[in-house]
Amino acid sequence: MSQLHRFVVTDGGDLEQLINGLSQRANFVRDPDRRSERSVYDTFDWRLFEAGTFLELITALDGRGGRGEVALAWRSSLTGEVLGRLGVDEAPRFVWELPAGAVTDRLSDVIEMRALVPLVTLSTVRHPLRLVDDEGKTVVRVIVEDSALADGTPLAPVVEVHPVRGYEAAATAVVDLLAAQVLLGADADDVATMALRAVGLSPGSYNSKLRLRLDGEGTALDAYAEVLRTLLATMLVNERGVRDDLDSEFLHDFRVAVRRTRSVLGQARGVLPAAVLDCFRAEFAWLGTATSPTRDFDVYLLTLPEFEAGLPPARKGDLKPFGAFLDQHQRSAQRALVAELDSDRYRTFVDEWRAWLVEPASDAPDAASPAVEVASLRIWKAYRRLIRAGRRITDDSEPEALHDLRKDAKKLRYLLECFGSLFPADEIAPLVKQLKALQDVLGEFQDCEVQAGSLEGFGQQMLDEGGTPASSLIALGYLVEQLDERQGQARAAFADRFGRFDTKRLRRAARTLFGPMPVVADRDLTSSVQPLVVPPDPTRGHLPVKAALP
Amino acid sequence: MNVIATYSIKGGVGKTATAVNLAHLAASQGARVLVWDLDPQGAATFYFRVKPKVKGGGKALIKGKRELDDVVKGTDYENLDLVPADFSYRNMDLVLDASKKPTRRLAQLLRPMARDYDYVFLDCPPSISLASEAVFQAAHALLVPLIPTTLSLRTFDQLDSFLAEHPGRKKLRLIGFFAMVDRRKRLHRELIDEVGRARPEVLDIQVPASTDVERMGVHRAPLFTFAPRSRSAVAYRELWKATEARL
Repeated sequence: MSQLHRFVVTDGGDLEQLINGLSQRANFVRDPDRRSERSVYDTFDWRLFEAGTFLELITALDGRGGRGEVALAWRSSLTGEVLGRLGVDEAPRFVWELPAGAVTDRLSDVIEMRALVPLVTLSTVRHPLRLVDDEGKTVVRVIVEDSALADGTPLAPVVEVHPVRGYEAAATAVVDLLAAQVLLGADADDVATMALRAVGLSPGSYNSKLRLRLDGEGTALDAYAEVLRTLLATMLVNERGVRDDLDSEFLHDFRVAVRRTRSVLGQARGVLPAAVLDCFRAEFAWLGTATSPTRDFDVYLLTLPEFEAGLPPARKGDLKPFGAFLDQHQRSAQRALVAELDSDRYRTFVDEWRAWLVEPASDAPDAASPAVEVASLRIWKAYRRLIRAGRRITDDSEPEALHDLRKDAKKLRYLLECFGSLFPADEIAPLVKQLKALQDVLGEFQDCEVQAGSLEGFGQQMLDEGGTPASSLIALGYLVEQLDERQGQARAAFADRFGRFDTKRLRRAARTLFGPMPVVADRDLTSSVQPLVVPPDPTRGHLPVKAALP
Repeated sequence: MNVIATYSIKGGVGKTATAVNLAHLAASQGARVLVWDLDPQGAATFYFRVKPKVKGGGKALIKGKRELDDVVKGTDYENLDLVPADFSYRNMDLVLDASKKPTRRLAQLLRPMARDYDYVFLDCPPSISLASEAVFQAAHALLVPLIPTTLSLRTFDQLDSFLAEHPGRKKLRLIGFFAMVDRRKRLHRELIDEVGRARPEVLDIQVPASTDVERMGVHRAPLFTFAPRSRSAVAYRELWKATEARL
C-alpha cells in the first residue's frame, strides 16, 4: 500500500477556492460533503498510535445537526487505509465487547487487555473529490478535511491525497499539482494527531518499557537516583488507573515499577545510605504484598478465556461459576487495595521517597564511583550467579531450584533494563534476547505450578462458600491436569533454553561488557576456552588500562 | 485469511455477481477483501471498471516472475482490491501444467497476501481443469450457485464426489445455494423443497432471477450501490451471513 500525502492549508488559504479549483479540472468529480463528529480513542500506553494507526468513533451528522450512523473506524495514519470499520452504538471499553470477527481479532492483537480511553472529540466536514479515468474508475481520492475541536477551536484544514493501489502515477501527478500551491504546507500530521496535540496530549508519551538514557560519565548515585526517579514516576502516573481499576494493566505496570525498584534497591548497598535502604526496602516490600491479591485475581480473569478454550466443547459452560467467583474476589481485593493506597502509610512513604529522590545524598563508599563501573560489577555478579545456578539444575532438581533460578534471571534482567543504557545497545541485545527466552520457559514452569496450586485452592474455597455445582469442580480438575502437562513441557524445554543462554559467544560478550578484566581466562565458567586478549575499548572508560595486560 | 471461491461447472449462473456482491458487502462491513478474477472473460474486472490486463499476463504470475502483490488494483470501494482478469488466463492450464506442483501454485501465490486481507474471493472460470484443481487447493470454501434444475443438482453431486477424492478436501467447505430462482415455476419450488431435506451442504438461500443483477453490467458497480433494498440484495446479505458462519 503506498503512502498517502498530506498537506496542511496554511493561514489565509481559501478552502472553497481550492476545492472549486480542483473540481473544475477535467476528470475530477466532487462528491457530496460529509459532516461527522469524531472521538479519538487510544489506550493509556498509546498502543494504537505506536502501531501507526488511529481509532475513531464516527457519528455521521446531517446538515441540520441530526445524528446518523455510528461506526468505529480504525485507520493507518501512514496510508489512510481502513484497517477495519465496525457498526456500533457506542465505543467499547474493551475489545472483547466488540462483535467477533476478523477486524476484532486484529484490533485485539494491538490493544489486548487495555481499556480504550476517549481522548478528544472534534467535528469535521469532509469534502471528497475523485480523479477518474476514461472508464469512470476512481484512480486518486482527494479529501479535504475541515475540523474544529468540541469547544469550537478550529484546526488547520488538511488536504489528503489517497493513492488507489495500482494507479500510483496518477496520485503522484495530483501531489505535484498540489505541491505547487503556495498556501499548502507539506508533511502535515493526520487530523486525529493534530487534535490530540491541540488539547495538550502528546501521543506516545507513556510506554511501559523503561526508556532511560543514563549519563555514561555520571556517578553511581546519579544513575541509581535517575533510575529510581523514573520508576517512581511510572508508579505515580499509573496510580489513578489502579485506583479506578480502569484496566488490569495499570496495576501490572505499577507492580513492575515496584518490583524493579525493589530489585535496584537490593543492588544498592554501598551506593545509597544504609538507613535509606533499610527504610524504603521495607516499604516497597509492603507495597508489593499489598498489591498482590488484586493482581492474582486479574491474572486468572485474563486467563479465563484460555482456560475455557482448553476444555472440551461440552464442558465450556462449566467455568461460569468460577468466573463469577473470581470476579467477586477481584472486587473485594480491589477495595482493600484502594484502602491501602488511601492509607497514611502509603502517602507518607511516597512523599518521603519523592523528597529523598529530589536531592539524593549519600556518603556510602561507592556513591561517587563512576556509574558504569558500579553497574558492570553488579550485573557481572548477577550474571555469574545465574550461570552457576543454572548449571546445577538437573532433571532431578526440585521445582524450588527452578523457582530460585527464575528469581536470579529476573534480577539480572531488571539490572540490564535499568542500567543497560550505560552499555552499547547492540552488544547487550543478543544477551537480553536469550535471557528473555530463558525467562519465558522459567516463567511458564512457575506459572503452571502456581496456577495448578491456586486452582485447587479456589476449588476448595468455592466448596466452602457453597452453591458450587460439581461440574465446575470437575472442569477445574481438568485444567489442573492440563497445567501439569504444560509444566512438564516447560521443564523439558529448560535444558535447551539454558544451553542457548550459556554459550561461549554470549559468555564472551558478557565478560567483555561487564567483566572485571578484559582478559578472558574463563576458568571458572568454562574449562576449554583458550585465554584471549581483548584490546581495551577506548569508549569504555571504566576498564583500567593495565587490566589489558596478561 | 479465508479464501472463498465462487465456482460452477456451468457458465451463466451468477457466479461472478456472487463474488462481486459478497466481496463488496464484506468490505463495507470493515473486512479487507481481495477479488481475484481468474475468468479470462473478465466480468468481475468489468464490473469494477478496471482494465482487463495483468502486467506480463497470467504466465508471469504462475512462473513466479511477478508477485500477486504487484498486480493488485484498488477498486472504487474502501478495503476492496482486485487482481484483474487477463486474456492469457485462457491458457492457464498449459502454463500450470509446465510449472512445478501445478495444483499448489495458486495457494503459494496467495500466501503472502495473508497479512493484507481478511477474505479473498476467487472468481473461477466454469470448468473442471487443472486451474480449478489449483483453486480447490487454495480455497477454504467453494461457493456454488445452483439453478434449481435436476441437471444442475446432478452436477453438484458430481462435484461433491470429485472433491471427496481430492487431497485438499478436508479444509474445503462445499457450500451450495440457489440462484436464478423463479418462484413462479413449479419445478423450481419442488426441487428447492426436496434439496432442503436431502443435502445439508446446500443453504436454503434463493437469489431470484431478476433484472437487478443484470443491471450490474449497466452500472458497472456492485448491486448494493444502486439497489440496496432489492430482493436480490437481501438474498446476498443472507448468503454472506450464512457463508461467514460456515467458515
